[in-house]
Amino acid sequence: MNNIYLPQLVTIEDIYDEAPDVKSYRLVFKDKAVREAFDFKAGQFGLYSAFGLGESTFCIASSPTRKGYIQCTFRRTGRVTGGLDELSIGGTMGFRGPYGNWFPLDEWKGKNIVFIAGGIGLPPVRSVIWNCLDRREDFGNITIVYGAKTVADLVYKNELEHWGGRPDVKLIQTVDPGGETPEWKGKTGFVPTVLEEAAPKAENSIAVTCGPPIMIKFVLATLKKLGWNDEQVYTTLENKMKCGVGKCGRCNVGDVYICKEGPVYTAAGVKKMYNDF
Amino acid sequence: MAKTVEKLLKKENLDKLITSVKADGGRWIAPVTDARQVVFKAVTKHEDMASDYILARNSYKEVLFPQTEVIAEYSVSREGSEMHGVELTPAETVVFGARPCEAASLKSLRSVFTWDFIDEFYTKREEKLIIITVACTKADEACFCTTVNISPESTEGSDIYLKETVSGDYLAHGATEKGKAFMAKHGNTFENAPKDAQTKKLVMPEEINGIDLDKISERLKKTGHYEDHVWAELTRKCIGCGACTYVCPTCHCFDITDEGTAIEGERRKNWDSCQFDAFTLHASGHNPRDTQFKRWRNRFMCKMHIYPEKFNSTGCVGCGRCVRVCPVRLDITEVMEALSK
Repeated sequence: MNNIYLPQLVTIEDIYDEAPDVKSYRLVFKDKAVREAFDFKAGQFGLYSAFGLGESTFCIASSPTRKGYIQCTFRRTGRVTGGLDELSIGGTMGFRGPYGNWFPLDEWKGKNIVFIAGGIGLPPVRSVIWNCLDRREDFGNITIVYGAKTVADLVYKNELEHWGGRPDVKLIQTVDPGGETPEWKGKTGFVPTVLEEAAPKAENSIAVTCGPPIMIKFVLATLKKLGWNDEQVYTTLENKMKCGVGKCGRCNVGDVYICKEGPVYTAAGVKKMYNDF
Repeated sequence: MAKTVEKLLKKENLDKLITSVKADGGRWIAPVTDARQVVFKAVTKHEDMASDYILARNSYKEVLFPQTEVIAEYSVSREGSEMHGVELTPAETVVFGARPCEAASLKSLRSVFTWDFIDEFYTKREEKLIIITVACTKADEACFCTTVNISPESTEGSDIYLKETVSGDYLAHGATEKGKAFMAKHGNTFENAPKDAQTKKLVMPEEINGIDLDKISERLKKTGHYEDHVWAELTRKCIGCGACTYVCPTCHCFDITDEGTAIEGERRKNWDSCQFDAFTLHASGHNPRDTQFKRWRNRFMCKMHIYPEKFNSTGCVGCGRCVRVCPVRLDITEVMEALSK
């Protein structure tokens, strides 16, 4: 019997502390055949199980160009993430996926890419960033604008340092006013404000944004002001999901099932939806 | 047009039929009076079945999509955790005494459980299901099938469609190949029908004049209706109990939860309801459907827009169960009427 709800077993190969209550797990499929056959595209998501507690939905935060493992990043919030948080290296979790659509990187060849993320909105964007960096010659300028409430809340600190040091990436980091430390060398200000100062050119460019709903709202307004149109801007919509396969009835925005038709949309696509956010 | 062959199922032969189904390891589910309510339950003899009923209080959807079921089992140990799926091998299940409205709901449930990803917990049960519908000779004020283009004469979803004869037997019409095969297999209970068999008059619920399905459909297609005051005004009295969703034959929402200890237990698929506030609540605290009218609006959209547009099926079959069970008398037909204006 083909059981669409049955997860694959994955082993936690490594754990990284990212920020207070935020961790990344590097996961490897226990079954060798599954491990070798597994493939996905940047933007897809999965359901991660803590046995005895249930499943939670997160994006796959690693790039499909990095084979042999997947990475997820989550914040300890509720029952399932609390259970996942208590696991240690060598522990077992469940994974179902990949589900949903993806960012159309092949359509972006030759274009400049601007990544705009806030807080824990960086993990889904990270998959696309590494995917683009691993195919660097396919794209024009790459800009990353990333902000969090405080310096401590910035995730992937090591990678931010790496991206900041690369000559082929322009990284702009910011923290909300009041969130800076005496040593902080980045900007202070909200992501949309910092984005407006950076004023990325709309011509031949694509923007990818993810973050809190309020940030996305103002990022879209800022990009519009800077002359971007809604077809150039991509985001990923996160909604509560239980099945991930279009059946449990939770993630729909009006008549759109995010798990099946999304989670990746252009701003133009989002504006066509019912106001069910 | 070729005349359909009808057979006679005598009431006195029902026990023979039930016994024969059970002898093959099957189940016979029929409306039964239980604690003064008519509900679908397994029966072993025909005299246990209710005869004087309009509609069972629950829908037979639980035969296909149980209220709770185990989908996998887990164990956690120092040596490593495991999760195994359960194998489902359902027995033949005959649902006898369904009504044409609820039979028509089958296509909707099937569409959700089979688009792209196939939920075999559903399909394996449906493969083994025989729906024997009995056309209605009674209706109540909550019945509104004719308003949503279904009637006691509709055979969609029925494998075998029965009309009661004046003598208390049934004229049987095999409506699907599965139904015809069932009748052929149990040929000794389905006799040749006499040419002069008189059937009881079917009762057609009166169409609700103020409801115009085309107008509702046009209105729901435009995203702007989400801002209409009509939603909050008409559905404010909803207390979010979710009763409508549990009795509805097309409601399909479910939750997946683990039940057990830190060492072993089960993963279950349980009925859920889009009327509960935690249903869409994000981990961040944000809730896209944070007030009751938004949740009620979602259910209405699901029935009257998502099912018809996405799955080309009937989301609301007019069985009236939600109307009968609602503790605050929030009647879906009132909202349909308001949206027809």
